[in-house]
Amino acid sequence: MSIRLLALIPVAAAISLALSAAVEAVALPLFLDTTGTILATALAGPGVGIATGVVTSAVNSLRNPTFWPFVVVQIIVALYAWIAARAGLFRGLRTAVPAGLGLGVIASITSTPISYVVFGCSTTSGIALATAVGKALGLSPLGACFFGSFVSDFGDKAVTFALVTSVLHALPRRTAARFPWALRAIGAS
Amino acid sequence: MRRLHPFTLLAIAGALPALAWTLPAPWGGLATAVLAFALTLTPGASPRLPVFRTALVTAAPFWVFLLLLHDVASTVAIGLRITTMVASFVWLMAALAPSRLVEAMVAAGWGASVAYLFAATLSAVPLLRARARRIVDAQRCRGLSPRGGVASRLRALRALALPLVLSALHEVDERALALETRGLVPGVRRTPLAPPPDSALQRIGRWGLVTVCAAALVWRVTWSG
Amino acid sequence: MVRLTLDRVTFWYPATKAPALRDVSLDVAAGEVVALVGTVGAGTSTLLLVAADLAPRVIGGRLEGRVHFEAPEEASGGRRIVLPTPWTQVSGMAFTVWDEVAFGPANLGWSREEIARHVDRALAKLGIAHLASREPAALSGGELQRVMIAGILAMDPGLLLLDEPTAELDPAGARILWQLVRELARGGAGVLVATSDSDAIPEFADRVIWLELGRVAAAGAPALVADEALCAAELGTTVADTWRMAGLAAPYPATVADAVRRWPAR
Repeated sequence: MSIRLLALIPVAAAISLALSAAVEAVALPLFLDTTGTILATALAGPGVGIATGVVTSAVNSLRNPTFWPFVVVQIIVALYAWIAARAGLFRGLRTAVPAGLGLGVIASITSTPISYVVFGCSTTSGIALATAVGKALGLSPLGACFFGSFVSDFGDKAVTFALVTSVLHALPRRTAARFPWALRAIGAS
Repeated sequence: MRRLHPFTLLAIAGALPALAWTLPAPWGGLATAVLAFALTLTPGASPRLPVFRTALVTAAPFWVFLLLLHDVASTVAIGLRITTMVASFVWLMAALAPSRLVEAMVAAGWGASVAYLFAATLSAVPLLRARARRIVDAQRCRGLSPRGGVASRLRALRALALPLVLSALHEVDERALALETRGLVPGVRRTPLAPPPDSALQRIGRWGLVTVCAAALVWRVTWSG
Repeated sequence: MVRLTLDRVTFWYPATKAPALRDVSLDVAAGEVVALVGTVGAGTSTLLLVAADLAPRVIGGRLEGRVHFEAPEEASGGRRIVLPTPWTQVSGMAFTVWDEVAFGPANLGWSREEIARHVDRALAKLGIAHLASREPAALSGGELQRVMIAGILAMDPGLLLLDEPTAELDPAGARILWQLVRELARGGAGVLVATSDSDAIPEFADRVIWLELGRVAAAGAPALVADEALCAAELGTTVADTWRMAGLAAPYPATVADAVRRWPAR
């Protein structure tokens, strides 16, 4: 791995973990904690993306250990983002937002069994509350759990994909050209 | 406890939750939770009471949500496991300085790159968070408010997130150049500056913990389903 | 002996059409301090990256011409660069200033005794031994800049490349740094430094190279910083500029001492 890609990973992981400060300021129910993983994948390919996801989960677990099992979701996100980049879905918001919604479905399918088996769906407070709502609506425990993950992931991943697309297009060409996949991801080469 | 090798501390903090999930509920979880809380009271994890209290406060909300979602028996079973996990990690954070973990990784021959990824993320997060707060303050002066519809909030979020992400990406090049000129090239054999002392006893202890966890898993899978 | 030679070097950054350096030739030998001056975008930083073997090897892009670096076998450090902004150069792997300075030497695989000797000496040279146990993240810009310079000095470079090394320093700190640069050259190192501190150039540099739009516009003795053309480009020393604006005749004096000598004969 080149030294530049090595330097990208901690920066991308720190982006995922620092964006919560921006989210708090606008009071939206979002996490954006896969932004760095998706961005690193679009800039530098799946290997760098997976490494970013794993490092993000590891450092996030220091704050709250219950995040660690969800490292699996970060890896799935990196692989999905890679396919999306190859398919040219970062070329504009019209393709990026539906792609993000698709990731929302896949991410909640991945996180539901982890959340259900390991934590009885009680992980982060937002998801747990949505799960409680699902239960009140008469869903089965596993169904309520999926409902909880889905409600919180669906919008989050769409916004994340839109944000990454904005970043890729706002990046000056000269900077973008220094990452191996950036120009191809936005269809500029 | 602070004197123990970082890998020994990690092994203990990893083994307790692993056992909590493999041993039969609720007694397995109760035993591991008690052990984990005992750790938060050990000398070395100082000052002692805040560690204990932090563990308690972090674990409490899970119990509330579990009660909302499950019956009492499952609440106790799952709650004890989560409590074990939370308490052993809170203890680990108090007992293990990141610098010692990095030194241990370098000394164990993990390659400086892996240690770098971990340590550099740890030190970059507070820097970027501080920058995010500065951007938020600046945008507040220009009239950003957390009100209005979802669309206007999303636009506001974009105005906050975009400069943060772009400025961070611009730094990647300089970081890479600085690392390269200071000799952190992939595959370098770095000299550990202060390798934490290890002992045969601790090595045996670590392998012992791994063996116990594996045995518990095998026992659980083959005998009690 | 350490020697860096650039022979008709032209360099393009990735995805750019106009070269950042055009047909640049220069030579830096052991024991010599060469100052690079130029306005923003002139190519001084790019030239340093090429000299440090970071462009195009790490940064990408395309280079025409020849870069040759010669160092004796025992030169432990080779060529090393100190970049302009200290914050992005912090390794992120050190939790004290001492460890931060030791980061480079440790990567060279030296023994712990050797590392300690070099780190302590570098900290003393920059006058920051008292910061050794502080956390790098808690330092001021000037302190951090000195830490980063110490981090490179501790690697014992044969050729030292400095990009605006006094940008974060106060005047006293800058003076100490320029004295240190002279001392390093006396010790046998070659130094190539890009600086906008023109006033200091006559006291520390052996030669000056003026870059404009990527080309060498002029090169010569330190007195070049009192040249009419450099003053017109706002790169001259304060004394030369004052002399010029007062309408006094060229050649202008570069320093106060020159001006005092020239005053009776004006």
